[in-house]
Amino acid sequence: MGSDRAAEDLELFLAERGELLLRTAVLLAGSRDAGEDLLQAALERLLRRWRTIEGDPEGYLRRILYHLAADNWRQQRAWRTRLRLLQPGAGAVVPDSTAEVDLRDSLVRLLRQLPPRQRAVIVARYWEQLSEAESAQVLRCSVGTVKSATSRGLRRLRELSESSGPAELAAQGSARGKS
Amino acid sequence: MTTELEQRLRADMEHATRDVRVPPGLALKAYRHYHKRTMTTRAVAAAGTAAVLTAGALSVAEVTGPFGKSANGTQLRTTAFVIARVEHALSAPDMANMVAYTRTVYPAGVTLQPVPGGVKGSGGSAAGSPGTGGYELLWAYHRATKLSAFTATGQRVFDERITALTGSLATTVVTYASHTWWTAQSARPAGAGSTSAGCLPGGQIRLTGSASAWPDFIRSQLACGAYTVAGKQVLGGVDAVKITGGSGQITLWVNPVTYLPMRLEQGGLTQINFQWLAPTRANLAMLNMPVPASFQHVAPPS
Repeated sequence: MGSDRAAEDLELFLAERGELLLRTAVLLAGSRDAGEDLLQAALERLLRRWRTIEGDPEGYLRRILYHLAADNWRQQRAWRTRLRLLQPGAGAVVPDSTAEVDLRDSLVRLLRQLPPRQRAVIVARYWEQLSEAESAQVLRCSVGTVKSATSRGLRRLRELSESSGPAELAAQGSARGKS
Repeated sequence: MTTELEQRLRADMEHATRDVRVPPGLALKAYRHYHKRTMTTRAVAAAGTAAVLTAGALSVAEVTGPFGKSANGTQLRTTAFVIARVEHALSAPDMANMVAYTRTVYPAGVTLQPVPGGVKGSGGSAAGSPGTGGYELLWAYHRATKLSAFTATGQRVFDERITALTGSLATTVVTYASHTWWTAQSARPAGAGSTSAGCLPGGQIRLTGSASAWPDFIRSQLACGAYTVAGKQVLGGVDAVKITGGSGQITLWVNPVTYLPMRLEQGGLTQINFQWLAPTRANLAMLNMPVPASFQHVAPPS
């Protein structure tokens, strides 16, 4: 396959399925910019196998997205920890930098605060509405891990949403309903 | 059990990503990065200085996928058996709640124009071949459809959403070249929902805005008889069963496990690829059609 052909094929594939995949990537990464970066990184990995893929590449790309999301998060976490140690007032709450995500989408902002696996499981289960078995297959883990990560993730989200103020969230919810 | 938190989470996810669009050139950017990295890796490996790095990159690429494996060793099935299975699969109660996703590829020269209540196609010649013209993507669920038309090079031409109301069709169209949009309400044509008038050839394909349009059409054609199993063919890694009929005008490929249609070719020119999806929030979101803020509202074509 020529190089131009591969780029063209990829362009067509993205025109068709890109929107759905990018939406998933944005949720996994926490912001639009990070979501685009994540999708681009996943596409680069997909290209490595492009010639050997015979079927629909979407499932393959989706799995890469989920795995990369966890990797990126780990790297960011390491850097964030180091930066926090270097800054005065270490241990202070890291300011929310999710301006790219609509502020009314409070739970999506809180989702960023979950560990990568829990976040990936939540996105798989509640955005893509995959079953526990399907989520386990995408994330390459056991069904038990999916169950426990879902349960812990939801519990943590509930705690976070309660601590961020139920009245505020309710107001945000009603604002969204009117928009 | 679905809790309030889970419902809100789903709604928030939908809302937070509703305006997300793939930026132009993302594929090319990814390809350039990939190409640059490949060239760098090759240069390093050739110099013999970083064999470990290369091995690392290769091990990262070692991801297993489901491709290249055929679904199963399908046995030869009799025509009657296969047709009965396809008809049964298409009329199963589950079908009514599935999201139909189709990708239709037209021969060269065919142009589509959105009109209230549907799309008007024109042009095209018998000299064309599938894949040389533009294509359309259709998402359909219950009584709503969203159709996106693209040029052969993948440039989005227009989006059209049609919702079937009682006795009428509500149409909204966004045209990207002219940065305009319009809405219209038109009378629902008689017989809407039933999709074909008669058997092909000689009959007429008339698809209306509902998710049951294609299943109804395929069932009606199979009911005409004269369809035969013409072997197997690998489609998307699946050993699809090929069925031909309609005096050679229609070729249909069905999944050997679910017996749901995977592809249909009409007259050897127009090719329709099907996917039957669960009505997840992610899939249903594909039926949304936000109008870009800067687009101008215009009157619908007459």
